[in-house]
Amino acid sequence: MIFLKRTLPLVIAFVMGIVAISIYYIPHQAAVDLNELLSKWDRIIAAFAAFLGVYSLLYLHAGRLKRRQVGWGYSVFVYLGFVVMLTAAIYNNGAGPLVALRKGGAYDWLYTNVFVAADASMFAILSFFIASAAYRTFRARTTEATILLVAAVIVMLGRVPIGALLWESMPELQQWLMNVPNMAAKRGILLGVYLGAVATALRIIFGIERSYLGGDE
Amino acid sequence: MIQKLLNIDRRWIFLFIFVGVAAAMLSPLPLPIRPSSDVKNVYNTIESIKGKPNATVLLSFDYGPGSEPELQPTAISIIRQCFRNNIKVVGMALWPDAVGLAQAAFDSVSRAEGKEYGKDWTFLGYKTGSVTLILNMGEDFHGAFNVDYRGNKTSEMPVTQHIAKLGSFDYVVTLAAGKTIDGVWVTYAVDRYRIKLGGATTAVTSPDMFPYLQSGQLNGLVSGLAGAAEYETLVRTQGSATRGMQPQSAAHLIIIISIIIGNTMYFVQRRRDRRQSVSGNEETRS
Repeated sequence: MIFLKRTLPLVIAFVMGIVAISIYYIPHQAAVDLNELLSKWDRIIAAFAAFLGVYSLLYLHAGRLKRRQVGWGYSVFVYLGFVVMLTAAIYNNGAGPLVALRKGGAYDWLYTNVFVAADASMFAILSFFIASAAYRTFRARTTEATILLVAAVIVMLGRVPIGALLWESMPELQQWLMNVPNMAAKRGILLGVYLGAVATALRIIFGIERSYLGGDE
Repeated sequence: MIQKLLNIDRRWIFLFIFVGVAAAMLSPLPLPIRPSSDVKNVYNTIESIKGKPNATVLLSFDYGPGSEPELQPTAISIIRQCFRNNIKVVGMALWPDAVGLAQAAFDSVSRAEGKEYGKDWTFLGYKTGSVTLILNMGEDFHGAFNVDYRGNKTSEMPVTQHIAKLGSFDYVVTLAAGKTIDGVWVTYAVDRYRIKLGGATTAVTSPDMFPYLQSGQLNGLVSGLAGAAEYETLVRTQGSATRGMQPQSAAHLIIIISIIIGNTMYFVQRRRDRRQSVSGNEETRS
């Protein structure tokens, strides 16, 4: 069991990691073909993640319903939404599930009038919370906070046309803030992130990082 | 009084935002929209390929309905610009929930501009893999997408039959809500296959893109609703982004006013607290 649960996944991670890195630097048709084959395998495996995601979501909400946890009513909507959308997608306006989605059917209607509208509204609600948070917490308590506050006000004004109406140079000043201080900070952060990603990848390939195996590893 | 204002019920702030945004939507006050250089770069790149035989642009729809208000107007404007210049457009999606949005954008513009499916444009749909899909496209486009969303063979359609690999596209534009621009397109398509890439992203993601703009890995960027409005200005169409500039300006102003009032109250309160503590100390001494 230890071989299947630990040794085999570690060997696969090591071999595939080394192969995937190596073929990137080998300018030969065989390497290109192997890369294409491996990436097709990867896409097939990735497709199964959708099933895992659906199972995980439904399992989580089934538990909430079973325990009558606070807010269990929302879990009913999860199941309702899932069943209704799935049924509409399989029916596909009478064409069945094996052809591309037909326009004008129940799925199309639900997507446009429920899913798109609800998702966009969720995002739009952020505006209300940002205003509330800005009023309550955005305070010029220190020099750093004051610099951040002034920069935020310039960017907020410079990004919308009313900023140019208030002061002609506002968009240029906003653009400078984005192009110079923002870019410098972002570049530093990104370098750190990607160096960390390389280190993590190497740790996984060489079996030092084993948390992906789950359990006590 | 000041303490009360500092601890104001947040529903009042919600109400101010609602009234401000609603008033801005109802009272049309035309605002000047000046396209930025980053937006112009995307527009000019598409303009530069017009007249080229089989000029084709790849549009990748990498966003969901939550970002539809910000990114859909840009998608529509780019498709419109391409169609008006007789540039072919190929659409694809790295996000599954973008399929309906892409179809809606293509359907509305192709109908308005009188363009034919399969000849002037096509939509390939969604495929899993993200990074690996890009790698497949980089080596063999027809292998990665052998059929389009409607089941037509890509090797037989006039719009895609001349496309051998990712590099065959004259320009690639990704409309992305998440980390798809830098995590997928820049890293794998630009650096490996040397394609020319433009991006459109939500306002919240755009600050992350500036290092790639400076390095030239991204040749232009349409950022958020404001960028979409700038693009609409360039293609001379007043769409939802241009109309959205008034409520967005109002919302930004209200947020700034909230910050100013909040800080004023805070400093007044702090000064009072200091005075009280000083007078308290003097009383104790005396």
